[in-house]
Amino acid sequence: MEAIWDGLREAIRLIATGDATLREVALRTILVSGCATLLAMALGVPAGYVLARTRFPGRTVILALVNTGMGMPPVVIGLVVWLLIVRSGPFGGLELVYTKRAMVIAQFLIATPMVAGFTVAAVQSLPRELPDLLATLGAGRLRTLWLVSREAQLGLLAAVMAGFGAVVSEVGASMTVGGNLQGSTRVLTTAIVTETSRGDNERAIALGIILLAMAFAVNLLLTMAQHRRVR
Amino acid sequence: MDVALHDVSVVRGGREVLVVPALAFAAGRATAILGPNGAGKSTLLRTVAGLERPRSGSVSIGGQPARSGPRPAGAVAYAFQQPVFLRGTVRSNFHLALRLRGVHGGSSRRRIDEVAAACGIEHLLDRDAHDLSGGEGQRANLARALSLRAPVTLLDEPLSGIDGPVRRQLLLDLPWLLRDFAATTLLVTHELEEALRLAEDLVVVLDGKVHAAGPKAEVVRRPADQETAAFLGFTILPRGRGAVAVPPGMLRAPAGESGLTWEMSVTGLVDLGTHREVAGMVAGMRVSARWDGASVTPGERVTAGANPDDVVRFGA
Repeated sequence: MEAIWDGLREAIRLIATGDATLREVALRTILVSGCATLLAMALGVPAGYVLARTRFPGRTVILALVNTGMGMPPVVIGLVVWLLIVRSGPFGGLELVYTKRAMVIAQFLIATPMVAGFTVAAVQSLPRELPDLLATLGAGRLRTLWLVSREAQLGLLAAVMAGFGAVVSEVGASMTVGGNLQGSTRVLTTAIVTETSRGDNERAIALGIILLAMAFAVNLLLTMAQHRRVR
Repeated sequence: MDVALHDVSVVRGGREVLVVPALAFAAGRATAILGPNGAGKSTLLRTVAGLERPRSGSVSIGGQPARSGPRPAGAVAYAFQQPVFLRGTVRSNFHLALRLRGVHGGSSRRRIDEVAAACGIEHLLDRDAHDLSGGEGQRANLARALSLRAPVTLLDEPLSGIDGPVRRQLLLDLPWLLRDFAATTLLVTHELEEALRLAEDLVVVLDGKVHAAGPKAEVVRRPADQETAAFLGFTILPRGRGAVAVPPGMLRAPAGESGLTWEMSVTGLVDLGTHREVAGMVAGMRVSARWDGASVTPGERVTAGANPDDVVRFGA
């Protein structure tokens, strides 16, 4: 218990003194996980919409894959991405391994099934006739997608929260493809692992508290947005 | 605009759910598509709207073959059976519908005020569309479709979910509303009374096939076949090697002077307030006839009859 209080004191000290390393790691965490979440939304929302609204051969298999992807261990995704981008791998020439871009790719693959799965649920909860109504009114495909997304915004915000929450808290994939290089690919979760292995539990707990606070702040913002929409 | 279907076949889940060799809806008239639940009525309406892609055949609107997919903007207005609204007020939903049809600003406001007054929904305009009751939602749903003033208006069960005085009032109002706001109207219903009150023409759809089409008096008085007659409430009774369809309420017992008679084994007597009906078996079929006698007990044999001029004969 004492270690937690010491960690909390250390967290406050790090924030209050504007610790440069901490700021750099926190900003990198937001950048990498934010980019991965945005990319996951760009693919996951339209894909979820199509899966929810259309019938085609293989749809059930894809839905099962999406559902499996929602529970896939990040370290496995990290391993697959690492095998693909490592110098001897098929995409080794792109020199992605141990870069932030590699981390974004791995986190994108973790978040996309989350966003798609939540989008499927959100769109399926809307009246079945809604796209038909918009079609008979003369709305084109993009406009229909926009209007349906607006209707499903509460579910879509939940999709963003789930996607961001999944990637900001994962450690296995980031460690595998990013390499946890100080000043380059270290993010809050991998930094916690490093500090723990060094025996600096106070700093590890401090980083954990900062990670939790950051995740809470993002989710608080999104929840406030959700509630404003409801009103 | 007239609407025509040629050799249309719609298949769903490997099963042919609608077959229409040829069917035309006259311009400027209201036609009721009548049939039991699951007969293919809504599929027919959706096919006209372009929401259902037929496996074969074509649909033309105003003489122009319609492309597959939703009809060109402005050609049709569709009121779905379950009212569907987007987030926001009823007014904002109407504005969106009109904006998608290219009607903006003052014109949009005028149209909304006009149709709201005609449909009696002015008090609903600023309500949240998702908070409307079933009847209110159905009226707003109908009003939105009418506000579009489309050449072809499609109404899927426009009175579904409405009952009591509101339904009776809407049955009286709707023909006038259609006359003022809709040119050609196709409406789906499973209730004969609704069809007769709201439409000029009838199309009877049974088990995915069109059994009868034409002016309502013609379709109802001279059903095209036994299935149509049975659906319209006629009592089908054997006669020689064929059958006779007796219009609703025209089978009476005791038979009296009627020319066509059948032996009926009584199973019960039902008091319907304004008159009584005797239930019983005729040639192994359960039927009921208007009862004009004094009293009757189950197991008794009575004679039911109908005027030969009232009935429709099928077969030999």
